[in-house]
Amino acid sequence: MEIRIQGVSKYYFSGGKTIKALDNVDLTIPANQIFTLLGPSGCGKTTLLRCIVGLEAPDTGEISIGDEVVWSKEKNINVPTEKRGLGMVFQTYAIWPHMNVFDNVAYPLQIRNVPRDVIRQRVAKTLSFVHLEGMEKRPATKLSGGQQQRVALARALVAEPKVILFDEPLSNLDAKLREETRKELRTFLGKLKITAVYVTHDRVEALALSDTIAIMREGRIIEVGDPKKIYFDANHRFVADFIGRANLVKATVRAHDGDHTVVDCGLGTIACQRRDIPTGSEATLCIRPEFIRIARGKAGGKNVVNGRVESLIFIGEAYEVEIRVGDELLLAKIDPDVDLKVGNTVNFSLDPAHCLLVSI
Amino acid sequence: MVQTRSKLTLSLILIVGVLTLGPVVMLLLGSFSKGLTAFGSFTLEKYIEAYTDPAFYEVIVNTIVFVLGSSILATGLALFLAYLNNRTDIPFKFLFKIISILPMMIPHLLFAVSWALLLNPSNGMMNMVLKNVLGLESAPFNIYSLSGMVMVEGLLDMPVSYLIIAPAMASFDVALEESSRVFGAGTWRTLVRVTLPVLRPAILAAFILGLVRGLASFAVPSVLGMPGRVNVLSTYLYQMIATGFAPDYGKAAAIGMSVLVTSITLIIVYRALTAESEKYVTIAGRGYRPTVIELKAAKIPLFTVVGLLSLILIVLPVTVLFYTSLVPYSMVPSARAFSLMSWKHWIEVVQDPISLLSLKNSLFLGVVGATLGVLLSIFVAYVIVKVKTRASGVLESLSFLSFSFPGIVIGVGFMWFFVQTPLYATIWALLIGYIATYLPYGIRPLASAFVQVHAHLEESSLVCGASPLTTMRRIIIPLLIPGIVSAWILMASMFVRELTLSVVLSRPGTEVLAVQILRFADDGLWGRLSALGIIMIFISTTLVVLATLIGGKLKAVESEA
Repeated sequence: MEIRIQGVSKYYFSGGKTIKALDNVDLTIPANQIFTLLGPSGCGKTTLLRCIVGLEAPDTGEISIGDEVVWSKEKNINVPTEKRGLGMVFQTYAIWPHMNVFDNVAYPLQIRNVPRDVIRQRVAKTLSFVHLEGMEKRPATKLSGGQQQRVALARALVAEPKVILFDEPLSNLDAKLREETRKELRTFLGKLKITAVYVTHDRVEALALSDTIAIMREGRIIEVGDPKKIYFDANHRFVADFIGRANLVKATVRAHDGDHTVVDCGLGTIACQRRDIPTGSEATLCIRPEFIRIARGKAGGKNVVNGRVESLIFIGEAYEVEIRVGDELLLAKIDPDVDLKVGNTVNFSLDPAHCLLVSI
Repeated sequence: MVQTRSKLTLSLILIVGVLTLGPVVMLLLGSFSKGLTAFGSFTLEKYIEAYTDPAFYEVIVNTIVFVLGSSILATGLALFLAYLNNRTDIPFKFLFKIISILPMMIPHLLFAVSWALLLNPSNGMMNMVLKNVLGLESAPFNIYSLSGMVMVEGLLDMPVSYLIIAPAMASFDVALEESSRVFGAGTWRTLVRVTLPVLRPAILAAFILGLVRGLASFAVPSVLGMPGRVNVLSTYLYQMIATGFAPDYGKAAAIGMSVLVTSITLIIVYRALTAESEKYVTIAGRGYRPTVIELKAAKIPLFTVVGLLSLILIVLPVTVLFYTSLVPYSMVPSARAFSLMSWKHWIEVVQDPISLLSLKNSLFLGVVGATLGVLLSIFVAYVIVKVKTRASGVLESLSFLSFSFPGIVIGVGFMWFFVQTPLYATIWALLIGYIATYLPYGIRPLASAFVQVHAHLEESSLVCGASPLTTMRRIIIPLLIPGIVSAWILMASMFVRELTLSVVLSRPGTEVLAVQILRFADDGLWGRLSALGIIMIFISTTLVVLATLIGGKLKAVESEA
């Protein structure tokens, strides 16, 4: 189901100051996608999620889920949480410690007065879907973190809601388990026709899981797009910087030349992906470390830059190299088999497709 | 939502305020009045009379010695036990747990009585045995003395001090000690310069709580002090209102005011200290296991000391009472004593109408009082934990205040209040007094239960489609049950054995167990006293077992549903 958010603001008052947790947010979350709200802590992403589910009431605006308006300041509509028919996985999982696995998962069905034998069937089906078959009688608190997480997912799915919400569900797992669970979650959600809204501050999680990502900052949506667009093709400096490691270089637009926009910067004259920025204006050139390719011998073609290796750190799968070019210090990630020493002079080329211009 | 919450907060402040501040205000007004019947006519007479009495200064000196002595003893013992338990390889560590929950089981009154039976100078059993064995002229010990009172009160307050010091000791980061060693300080230096200073807030808190408890203590001074005419403030007050022809509630209130002010001051210091000790604890590193010190040769002697303490604290009182309830009069255990044993005292108690009435009253107060008290505590704890406004802060301070109330003083305050109402001399007066005085004991376990119910547990039930009411029934209440049960047990067992408030408020017809036991003690009817005492211990133990069973049942029902 599609979720439409229009003009939603939410204010907090603390210490005599007004904090805008949500600042006039307009957002449409398309149906049957995994949609991620990504941003640093305090950007309002969890508040937005809690407004959708109804655990918090916005101060302005309107929220509708499918055809139903669930919140409207103007029309004075506020459908209580329990009537919105959603599923949610909490950051703490919120597994009820006084119930076993079966009761935790069966709860939404029991509330809806589903007949007992149907409950049994559907709980069994859902548990096997999340690979927890046969765990019904286990006390929920005796499960591992990953298993608890899947119980929470099963509970959110069992009543077959049209929308499921995730509030940083992986942040309590350790790094290895987090990676595994992320893959599993992707598989589970891929099999279902369901709209999933996913809140996280972890960019890798967002890139790996999402169909669409919305980047938030200080209560506002900055940019919305699919993971590749956000990573390679961001419009905002904040987004480019937040979604991955990036070298950000001040630049001035010189000319537009076919597919490229040409800029002057500390690296010299560089041809970039075309952007409609007026000639002469300031912009930021964004280059990801993995796209700085050190050429063996003399490099040819466009965007060749000379620099000097200032530091070299071996991190296993690659070298992290700092390269000094004039006043700029660039971070590059290069193959571990390249023979380099500190003080070496290097040539590298920059593919214009990976030279991204973002607004200041 | 917000509005109903602030309404709830305000009405709770009103209820708790009346319950806790009411008697204080009445005490204050009463101390400036001529007498119970002449309430409100202002006079300074009572203050002048009370504080110029030469006997008063002897009482003050006694009180200071008693309170300081018992608190030092309790804190010292607790520190010793906590160190042994947490930092050494002493065997049978479960004994420490038993020692720490003891105050739930044996009422102070009976503990004091059992020591009187053992060490009184005329026919104390232990004294008699020692006299015979050593061939002495007179009894070697006299428990009816200041030192006897200090010892018994110190033993009684030790478990509470232990409960404060032991957790601080357990969470102590040994790296702090180790780094002191690395920088060249020896074991002793490290103890003095690092270990004790870091534990200081906890030790001081235990000490101050000991002072408050000593100041409020009535059971020990009345059983052990009054026969030897060693009076402390609480017994001095008691005599003013309970003996002689003209009980003087005005004078009692005038003296009570200074006791109350001292006690409240101490509790405020205590709170500041515990807040600080929690701060210290959070600084301590996590995941460190304290290095265990091998006791080696000292193991057996130290363990003997601990074993002896548990014996003195638990086995001895119950055994002495049971023995005394069976023999016809005080006698040293011997073949003759065993041949004379009978159920005579038990039968007398069961046939004594006043004992039966007191049993009935105490049971009623225990069950009904604890239920109402817990009900009130649930709401108060909810507001304190979940509604974080300035008003809820006020409520918290209010509800903590009665921790500092010495029962006998606050009883005098209640007396001034109840005399103006039809509640006077009814069981309801006792009920209200109990709940007001012991409210913090209900709120504490419930507040920690509410803290454990994370907001997400509630919210996820709403998201699952359950109404707020269903959420309350199926999620919140079941999660609170352990807290509710332990609050109920705590309150009920305290109410069943309540003494200090009852000696003031109880009137003919509203006798309770502890008051009746005290009366037996005054009359020297040790056999009946012991029989009734054992019944009292049995009731509070049964309440504990029953409540635990019910709590377990309710949990089981929920997981089957």
